[in-house]
Amino acid sequence: MSRIRFENVSKRFGGVTAVDDLSLEIESGEFVSILGPSGCGKTTLLRMLAGLERPTGGTISIGETVVNELAPAQRNVAMVFQTYALYPHMTVAGNIEYPLRKRRVAKNERVRRVREAAAVLELEALLDRKPRELSGGQQQRVALGRALVRDPAVFLLDEPLSNLDAKLRTHMRAELIRLHRRIGRTMVYVTHDQLEAMTMSQRIAVLRDGRLQQFAPPRDIYARPGNDFVAGFIGTPSMNFLDGRLEGTGSGRTFRCGDVSLPVGMLPLADEMPEPDRRVRLGIRPEHIRIDAEGEAARVNLVEPTGHETILVFDYRGNELVARMDGDVDIESGDRVKLAFRADKLRLFAAADGRRLNDDSTP
Amino acid sequence: MSAPASIVRRILFNVFAWAVVLVIAFPLLWMVLTSVKPSTELFVIPPRLLPGEITFEHYRRLLTETPFLIYLRNSAWLAAGTTLVVIAIATLGAHSLVRFSYPGRERLARLVLFTYLLPSVVLIIPLYLLMTGLGLANTLTSLIIAYTTFALPYALWLLRSFMKAIPDDLESAALVDGANRMQAFVDVILPQALPGIISTAMFTAILAWNEYFYALVLVNNDAARPLTTGVISMLVTSFNIEWSLLMAASVMMSLPLIVVFAFLQRYLTRGFSAGAIKG
Repeated sequence: MSRIRFENVSKRFGGVTAVDDLSLEIESGEFVSILGPSGCGKTTLLRMLAGLERPTGGTISIGETVVNELAPAQRNVAMVFQTYALYPHMTVAGNIEYPLRKRRVAKNERVRRVREAAAVLELEALLDRKPRELSGGQQQRVALGRALVRDPAVFLLDEPLSNLDAKLRTHMRAELIRLHRRIGRTMVYVTHDQLEAMTMSQRIAVLRDGRLQQFAPPRDIYARPGNDFVAGFIGTPSMNFLDGRLEGTGSGRTFRCGDVSLPVGMLPLADEMPEPDRRVRLGIRPEHIRIDAEGEAARVNLVEPTGHETILVFDYRGNELVARMDGDVDIESGDRVKLAFRADKLRLFAAADGRRLNDDSTP
Repeated sequence: MSAPASIVRRILFNVFAWAVVLVIAFPLLWMVLTSVKPSTELFVIPPRLLPGEITFEHYRRLLTETPFLIYLRNSAWLAAGTTLVVIAIATLGAHSLVRFSYPGRERLARLVLFTYLLPSVVLIIPLYLLMTGLGLANTLTSLIIAYTTFALPYALWLLRSFMKAIPDDLESAALVDGANRMQAFVDVILPQALPGIISTAMFTAILAWNEYFYALVLVNNDAARPLTTGVISMLVTSFNIEWSLLMAASVMMSLPLIVVFAFLQRYLTRGFSAGAIKG
């Protein structure tokens, strides 16, 4: 009923391509995050879905309807803006009521629905206030209320939490998840914050330079990143990369990079790389590095204790590696230690195009 | 700095400031006082500041024996008409110059400012010929059109800077909430731009109220003359200047502006600052 489909959608502003031949299908009732660094085209994508920008190419459909030519008002979508975009001259009630007035909902029905939305968002006491008399969190809830009151087919949220302080953000994240569960509407959530995307969404679409990198559930995005960009973008601290070559085949396969030589024969590759170019990037997550008497020699460059865990930066044969270990690990800067990597968690990417080489069946 | 030096400094500053105020205010004071003096007291030597006897005779004569009220009505129509036309076009135009993207938008905006820089002397003869050609010579309409030519570019430019300060997201939100472009403009943009619109309207009204040159050239019958040219042609002749009536007329011409200004002052000063910072 409110499935969203982007088919080969592009958007150019003058000579700049904001969204490049993007195809994506969001299921009805799904909570999907669009994640990427700033300038990757995620807000443009959302604005095209809302009808505020017209795609240069491709089609966008909501349900069974192609909406390319439809005005925002005809699309039955509601949007929450990063700046909240509350109407400053209207009261809270006036703001929430506005979409209903534009849809010519009868007066007493309007009053009832504004009350309902206000109750859900705990805004009853604030209905007669002007937006400037509210705190950031309250303004945010009014913006949500204005979207909620219409009961739209699709909710679009453009970095709605980015202007809140950390504590409130955590709280609102939980509120949004609860809200989604209750109303069961399709929600498209744009963010540059991987934590928000990972915790809230059923699936995440990672964007870079207007191109879709991967569209998968959070777990998969983390464990099976489609390419080295996704692998490096998701996770804090980010994945360590070593650039080198593959040598040998099958179980005798080895990764070489300068003095480093690691056996990677146990990683099942989707396809054996042909001989002439076997340049690869080896990816190691910080939590998959541990200290092991049998391991490889390395020197500790930096120790960053955060309490529940410690971030360690090693010099491993001329390469910098970041590792995440227990908070009580007893290591000091300058120490010489031995490191081991969890072999089954290593990830191999083609150096040429960044795609992941490990077979998808690898957990 | 020692305390006495700072006191001296403050006294000097105050003396200077009051001297400037006096220079500006004295003619106005003299105007008011002269308008209520009997004509016989005007030229006594030595001059007397305060009238020996206060009379409103000149005001009575002005209102009953001269076409002053017709001029006043004309001026009011001119100010209201020009303001209405200019604001209607300028708000929509400024909105377009800020929000819509089309080729040459910035060039168009600069071109608008350029027309404002043309001296009125250059425009007056073509305008006069145009009005005659249209059969509008000697009408209030011709003056409203003429005033629009110089008030509109200014108003457009001023309103553009006001509208630029309104966040794009507000209009986007209204569109997504179900408004069409015109409704979004009326419901959301206009209320936000209201202070700017009010101050622009006041500037326009003042320009139209005080305009002299176009009125002098384009209109030469009493039925369409505004106060500026009407009062001069009625009271100032080659042989005589009716000083008492002239001063009474001047007082009455200034009053409407002072009253309007007093009511809308806070919008006007906001307008000045917006034009100054964001323009």
